[in-house]
Amino acid sequence: MRDFFTLSVIVATVASGIRLATPYLLAGLGETVGQKSGVLNLGVDGVMQLSAFFAYWTMLERGSLILATLVGIGVGLVMGAIYAFVTVVLQAQQGISGIGIFLFGLGFSDLMFRRQVGSPRPVPQLPEYGIPFLADIPNVGDALFQHNLLTYFAFAAVPVLALMLRSTTFGMNVRAVGENPQAADSLGVSVGWTRAFAILIGNTFAGLAGAALVLELGIFQPNLTAGLGFIAVALVYFGAWRPVGIMSGALLYGLVAASVLQMKALQIIPRSASDIAAMAPAILTILALIVLAGRVSAPAALTRPFSR
Amino acid sequence: MNDVSSSTPVADQAAMLSMRGITKRFPGVIANQDVDFDVVAGEVHTLLGENGAGKSTLMKILFGLYRPDEGEVRLNGKPSGITSPSTAIEAGVGMVHQHFMLVPTLTVAENVALGLPSGRGPLTNLDAVSARVSEISEAHGLSVDPSTEVWRLSVGERQRVEIIKALYRDARLLVLDEPTAVLTPQEVDDLFVILRRMTDEGRGLVFISHKLHEVMALSDRISVLRNGQMVGQTIPSATSREELAEMMVGRSVKLVPDRPPVETGDVRLEISNLSVRGDRDTIAVKNVDLSIKGGEIVGIAGVSGNGQREIAEAVAGLRAPEPGGSIRFDGVDVASMGTRARRDAGLAYVPEERMADGAIADFSVSENLILVDHASKSFTKSGLFDRQRIADHAKKLVERFAVKTPTIDTPTSSLSGGNIQKVIIARELMSDPAVLIAAQPTRGVDIGSAEYIHSQLIEQRDKSTATLLISEDLDEVLGLSDRIAVMFEGEIVAIVDAADATREGIGLLMAGVVDAA
Amino acid sequence: MSTFPLRRLLALLFSFGLLAAACGGSDATDASDGGSDDDAPAASSDLSVAVVAPSASDDLAFTQSMIDSLDALGITPQVTDGTFVVEDAAAAIRGYAEEGVDVVIAHGTQYGGSLAEIAPDFPETTFIWGTAADTQGLANVFAYYPAADQGGYVNGVIAAAVTESGSIGVVGPVEAGDAVAYVNGFVAGAEANGASTSVVYTGSFSDVQLMAEAAQAHIDQGADVLTGTSQAVVGAVGVASETDVAWFGTQSNQTSLDPNLVVASQVYHWEVVIQEMLDLREAGTLGGEVFELNLENGGLEIEYNDGFELSDDVIASADAAIAGIIDGSIDTGA
Repeated sequence: MRDFFTLSVIVATVASGIRLATPYLLAGLGETVGQKSGVLNLGVDGVMQLSAFFAYWTMLERGSLILATLVGIGVGLVMGAIYAFVTVVLQAQQGISGIGIFLFGLGFSDLMFRRQVGSPRPVPQLPEYGIPFLADIPNVGDALFQHNLLTYFAFAAVPVLALMLRSTTFGMNVRAVGENPQAADSLGVSVGWTRAFAILIGNTFAGLAGAALVLELGIFQPNLTAGLGFIAVALVYFGAWRPVGIMSGALLYGLVAASVLQMKALQIIPRSASDIAAMAPAILTILALIVLAGRVSAPAALTRPFSR
Repeated sequence: MNDVSSSTPVADQAAMLSMRGITKRFPGVIANQDVDFDVVAGEVHTLLGENGAGKSTLMKILFGLYRPDEGEVRLNGKPSGITSPSTAIEAGVGMVHQHFMLVPTLTVAENVALGLPSGRGPLTNLDAVSARVSEISEAHGLSVDPSTEVWRLSVGERQRVEIIKALYRDARLLVLDEPTAVLTPQEVDDLFVILRRMTDEGRGLVFISHKLHEVMALSDRISVLRNGQMVGQTIPSATSREELAEMMVGRSVKLVPDRPPVETGDVRLEISNLSVRGDRDTIAVKNVDLSIKGGEIVGIAGVSGNGQREIAEAVAGLRAPEPGGSIRFDGVDVASMGTRARRDAGLAYVPEERMADGAIADFSVSENLILVDHASKSFTKSGLFDRQRIADHAKKLVERFAVKTPTIDTPTSSLSGGNIQKVIIARELMSDPAVLIAAQPTRGVDIGSAEYIHSQLIEQRDKSTATLLISEDLDEVLGLSDRIAVMFEGEIVAIVDAADATREGIGLLMAGVVDAA
Repeated sequence: MSTFPLRRLLALLFSFGLLAAACGGSDATDASDGGSDDDAPAASSDLSVAVVAPSASDDLAFTQSMIDSLDALGITPQVTDGTFVVEDAAAAIRGYAEEGVDVVIAHGTQYGGSLAEIAPDFPETTFIWGTAADTQGLANVFAYYPAADQGGYVNGVIAAAVTESGSIGVVGPVEAGDAVAYVNGFVAGAEANGASTSVVYTGSFSDVQLMAEAAQAHIDQGADVLTGTSQAVVGAVGVASETDVAWFGTQSNQTSLDPNLVVASQVYHWEVVIQEMLDLREAGTLGGEVFELNLENGGLEIEYNDGFELSDDVIASADAAIAGIIDGSIDTGA
């Protein structure tokens, strides 16, 4: 048995935790914007699987990471447009519509994989870039500033989205239509368009999350996400609909998961406690966020279709 | 943008709003028939009518939500062109809704800024909005802090925010839909001062209300709608509340029920040291003592949300009281009993939410009439419902309580609010209860039905029932009660004999000013 | 091309169109690609065979190994794959039995409960269930399981020769079933030859990302050889590729995942025991016996990657280990 609290192990753990957190953070941030506008999207996991597959397929066919990332975003936009049409225009029940998107994503990515790819083949992964100067800081640099671009993007999006929700007209409209769409409508705010844009933003992030996942792994297989998108939706609740809350939750989840893996690898956690330790990330994250977030309630109009 | 703080004289008497010959038909109903309605700058023009008389259809036509089948809407002499909320705002027409159109999690300034361009690209400009809101507040006596989130505000403050929203958009014509429904009498007085200041600036107001004394106090002109038709127009100095009520209903009505003195008996409902938690788990009712004798109606006056609902639900057995208190019917402590046992002990309950708690919408009239006693021997034969007896019972009650229903098998949901309430009252009074709780017995009910329900409550009082009346309509409390208990923040702050009660005194007590009455 | 993908697509689009939660995608029951590539040699018998399996028939692991094995026997089975939902699998198993299929292979430990209910209803049908070490006392059920510890041990012997740091990382899903047997065998083989090992069970059969980070944790702590088992190992193989670390596979030949770094794979040849079972069935025995895949009967085989050079000494020590396991002189630790 070796010591967990050595510099190299901690640096490796933090780096690993940040990598693990990235797809949760991207998906959770997107879901937050959608939910703030009053639209629940349970289809995140399906959108991620679709974008993961298409980004992977693009890598196989074209070998371009940029193109693959753009394809992931494109899949998110298309699925967002579909979901906006279904929930805003057709006013379908959101819970079941989201499950429909999830099943479609799960099944269609599986089908496309079998037809177009067959057996998993590795593709080049997203390279890691050190941020100039910061990456040179001993240890801290390796832990925090030696990641791929989508990871940096995910963390940079946290303050940007927080600012967008708090201090832009669009963000204010999003919050208003998520709380009291009648009031927003009475002031000439288009509830439908506001929600549609929020859904598009949310799904674009889900698409990026799928691309980030598959391009970090460098390989695809059916049901790649294994429920990751659903955990991201849960993080939104426990993160109290705040980008910083989502980030805290995703980071906590990733760091605990990474610590558990490292401790298992160091044989600090005995094999007999392995399965129980595997549950630690979810349990600790939920507990921490419940304690920290207090009693923040969901947007009042969440899941409620709007009509005059 | 015009400078709203400068006052324009009421010189231009040309109509700012002119609705001519408006007819709107819905399948089977004519909601508006050849209605003329206009507003000149600087006046309060009241639109009076019962529920379903066509007021809201007329306003929806004004706001472009419905297109009239016939007739036209002109603003300042030109076709109005209003088709949506934003075109209404552009045309200078605003509305203060009965149910506030506010986003509780947004600040006052954000609520005001919502829907307007910020002038700073994609970013909001809340500092500028706040400054302007403060100016408007000051100019109109609408004090409210722009940076406060709306959920922290009192009902009266929220209404001020609604008015500020309209003023911020410089609405020249403002429709106020039952704006006083949730205010204390003092808040109503304050509101009227504000509204008068607005008309002094040359704005036109449409005041929609059914509270006749307020209508008399505020209006310059009064137009009355009945069954979709304009039945008359008058001014306060030329009319009376009784006459207005008669115009609304189409026959003479008694606004204040006859309440002949009656011999009171023993105490039948005795509440002592009762505390109850509300929905948010805070104490909503604090150490309340109240006793009501047979033959007595005690009304609870108070601004809604001060514990009235919780007290009614605790007595009815729908909400568990805190330990230590007692509720006695004819001396028997029922505090730990279920609702069935309480009903057996003599309870009848007319709940506040009549469709949610009082009746089952899909059930027929006859089924709702036996809802409480469906298991009793008189309605069953060998364990099955005795259809004939249920029908006889229903017919008798429908007749006695003048319920207007096509048949006794009609689904209750298709009846009017007044008739549904009569069904509930008929069912509850049938058992000749020891204790009757009547919560908002005539809210949303037409004047004719309200008059009848009042007479039935008084008749029941005369049969020695102890009645606890809970109503947000102060006129109803004053008119029906023998004694009035005023609640403020969960406590009974005073109990006043009806003979000594005045609107003003009760109003002050409702606002928590204890040494007033 | 069979009509299977189109029907599957239509089913999916239909379910999406209705926005219904009905899982229309996973129950298409036509033949899969597995048997349709070419006309295999004449089947060894005239028995009709169907397979129900939890993952994709081209997963390079558990399910594909069964499809490939049947292919080797010249059998083109009907296939329902991807039925990780047990209820869906149960419906498919019962469906095949009702159709009159002679032999239904329920290729998943988790289908045992369903079989206990279904098998008695179809006494003329033979059910083959695995991986499982008992038949639940059912007369028309054969059971099979791989002695995965044996190939694991051999892989471990080779790994101990390949490692330069002397430190080997092992990743697994949940500490149960075949995974434990393989991992324990591998650890025994590696440690008997002087290497140190560390094992991480992630707690999930399907979380690819977590499996990748588990592999990364081993590398962070100095491992230069990795192995692992479960459907999620593709993530770990990706990490091996990225960090240029040798990989040992199991269940099927994983060379294609990285032709430079996969050293050897333990491959399951289910056909060895399936053939025995089919012969018994032909002879009138419908079930009741348990079969083990092992190195001795050829059910397990170590396949080397020609792209990864191993010295003759290493091959010789692996062969010695195989001989020792077969003759019982080596304890695999299972």
